[in-house]
Amino acid sequence: METFLQVLANGLMLGALFAIVSIGLTLIFGIVKVVNFAHGEFLMIGMYLTFVVTGWLGIHPLYTIVIVAPLLFLAGAATQRFIIQPLMSARDDHIQIFATVGLSTALINLALLIFGADIANTPSGGLRTPVEIGPVRVLSGQLFILIAAIALVIGLRLFLQKTQTGRAIRAVAQNRAAAQLMGINVNRIYVLTFGIGAACVGLAATLIAPLYPTSPNIGTYFVLTAFVVVVLGGLGSIGGAFVGAMVIGLIDSFSGFYIGSDLREVAVFGVFLLILILKPSGLFGKSLNLSHVSP
Amino acid sequence: MKLSSLLKATTAAVFLTAGAAHADVKIGSLYPFSGQLALLGEESARGLEIAVDELNAKGGIQGEKIVLVRGDAVDNNQAIGEARRLISLEKVAAIFGSYSSARSIAASQVAELSGIPYFELGAVADEVTGRGLKYLFRTNPYALHMGEMIIDMTVKKVAPALGKKPEDLKVGIIYEDSSYGTSVSNHQKEFAKKAGLNVVVSSGYPSNTVDMSSLVLELKQAGVDVVLQTAYQNDAVLFLQQAGEQGFKPGAVIGGGGGYSTQPTADAVGHDKIEGVLDVDFTQYLVNTKATPGLEGFVEAYKKKYGISPRSGHSLTNYMGSKAILEALDKAKGFEPDTIVEAAKAIDIADGTTATGYGIKFGANNQNDRAKMMGMQWQGGKLVAVYPDEAATAPMKIGK
Repeated sequence: METFLQVLANGLMLGALFAIVSIGLTLIFGIVKVVNFAHGEFLMIGMYLTFVVTGWLGIHPLYTIVIVAPLLFLAGAATQRFIIQPLMSARDDHIQIFATVGLSTALINLALLIFGADIANTPSGGLRTPVEIGPVRVLSGQLFILIAAIALVIGLRLFLQKTQTGRAIRAVAQNRAAAQLMGINVNRIYVLTFGIGAACVGLAATLIAPLYPTSPNIGTYFVLTAFVVVVLGGLGSIGGAFVGAMVIGLIDSFSGFYIGSDLREVAVFGVFLLILILKPSGLFGKSLNLSHVSP
Repeated sequence: MKLSSLLKATTAAVFLTAGAAHADVKIGSLYPFSGQLALLGEESARGLEIAVDELNAKGGIQGEKIVLVRGDAVDNNQAIGEARRLISLEKVAAIFGSYSSARSIAASQVAELSGIPYFELGAVADEVTGRGLKYLFRTNPYALHMGEMIIDMTVKKVAPALGKKPEDLKVGIIYEDSSYGTSVSNHQKEFAKKAGLNVVVSSGYPSNTVDMSSLVLELKQAGVDVVLQTAYQNDAVLFLQQAGEQGFKPGAVIGGGGGYSTQPTADAVGHDKIEGVLDVDFTQYLVNTKATPGLEGFVEAYKKKYGISPRSGHSLTNYMGSKAILEALDKAKGFEPDTIVEAAKAIDIADGTTATGYGIKFGANNQNDRAKMMGMQWQGGKLVAVYPDEAATAPMKIGK
């Protein structure tokens, strides 16, 4: 029983980790409708920024959020404005995908050039302290990730529901052409949304960097799972991404322990395919939105 | 970056060729000098460069100055392209390389077809020498030697220290599931079976995993005494951290290769937490130099040329292999491919006479049968040699 609970706790913590990485992606994927393959590299940049700023200012890694998240916002907004937006007029959406793949490779190699292939260690700042909750043990840093993921989901939801800008973002997501006719500056909304999505990744990076060594290709470790989570949760559904991440985390943890470490990915992707076959729009996805097809 | 290093290599080669009065002999230096593997690729190449400097200072080989021509094997395709360039454009007498097994396997195929000797000084995959190539030689120890040394150390040192007979020792073998981890773990299982060890867990995992807690729990549940892990850096750090955090304290952890031997790994895990962890890899620097004559001279030459201490044992391993080959070429007559092959095959260097401790004698498949890895342990934040005894600088600290 104790073991079962520990496996459960490990799964939830892993789920929270996937959730915090995926929330930004679901915004970008669901609203800007861009498959951003450089998402993992935004995380990598955020982690290096956390590493650099922590060492530079000598502050606790979590405090770097006030610097890292705005910088990532700018990076995201710039990506949308200067790379994606000029390609929006291209008739074929695939061109944007290749652009983000190119961006991803360029960023990895840039990091290699600046930081080298070796790992960079952000000081853990006490976030690796085990916390005992009943019979299970988790790290304080993992609990922070869980709390931050929940707070982020609630915060973004409030923002999208209650504010004028949030409503504009949802309007653009629902129907780009109609939103434009209503006087919404669609390009501005896209730039803003991409920025917010990237800033969410910045938040994730400051929480993850103290727990995982940073390397130029750290983003690739997360990005595939993040896409799975986003599709599983339903494109653009923030709550869905959270639930999807928990599902993936739990399957990963339980299959890893009860079936075998080498079969974890088989279990995760097997369940993923099964859910998609049964419910093609994902767990919380609405029926297919084709607004981006019309110019 | 790629272009600039290429230009640099070419201009350097042209310049040197123009500057030399008498004939030079060109040797290809094929490593990943840029990209993901650049750090240890460059480190490996430095070993070759020091060996060349040393021989040139003594008047070259067969009276000719050795000129190194760099090829940047940034990925497998470019390894092939650069091997072609070195052979057809630069007309090198032989290629030395290549740190990465995948690059080596790709590039040596080109050399074989052109009939140019290829000396592998550092790649560890089985397949490098497992393909029956005629012009390929490997001087360094590979996956088999790693598995062999790990099990040997487990049986002769770790089991007695834990007060157990080998057959009572519960062994857990975990490995990253690419060809590197899989081949080392297969050799571990083979040798473990021969030694009568009780392997209770054997599990692979993808090296880009972000969570190993379920694997840690599995090992803990099985009551594993000794964990053998073949890992890259990320997964080595992750396992050691999560094992500690889940309260799993096996009698011994023995790592294999890259991830376990580098200082950043120790820094990431924490020096107090990595204390006592064992590691089997190429010969490193904190060894008893009586067993490795020439090691101190190498470190000195390295510091003088590059201004820092060697960053890993790769340079040493490459230095030892290339030095032996070049010295053998000095005794040959001419640089025809078959003369070079003949000279290499005639090499017979005894154990305990080289900077890495092991000798050279090429056996079946042109693999150096005398190559050996070394057992080391993290003590006080440093990786010190502990096995075999003649190379040890400190006693192995183990047992409860």
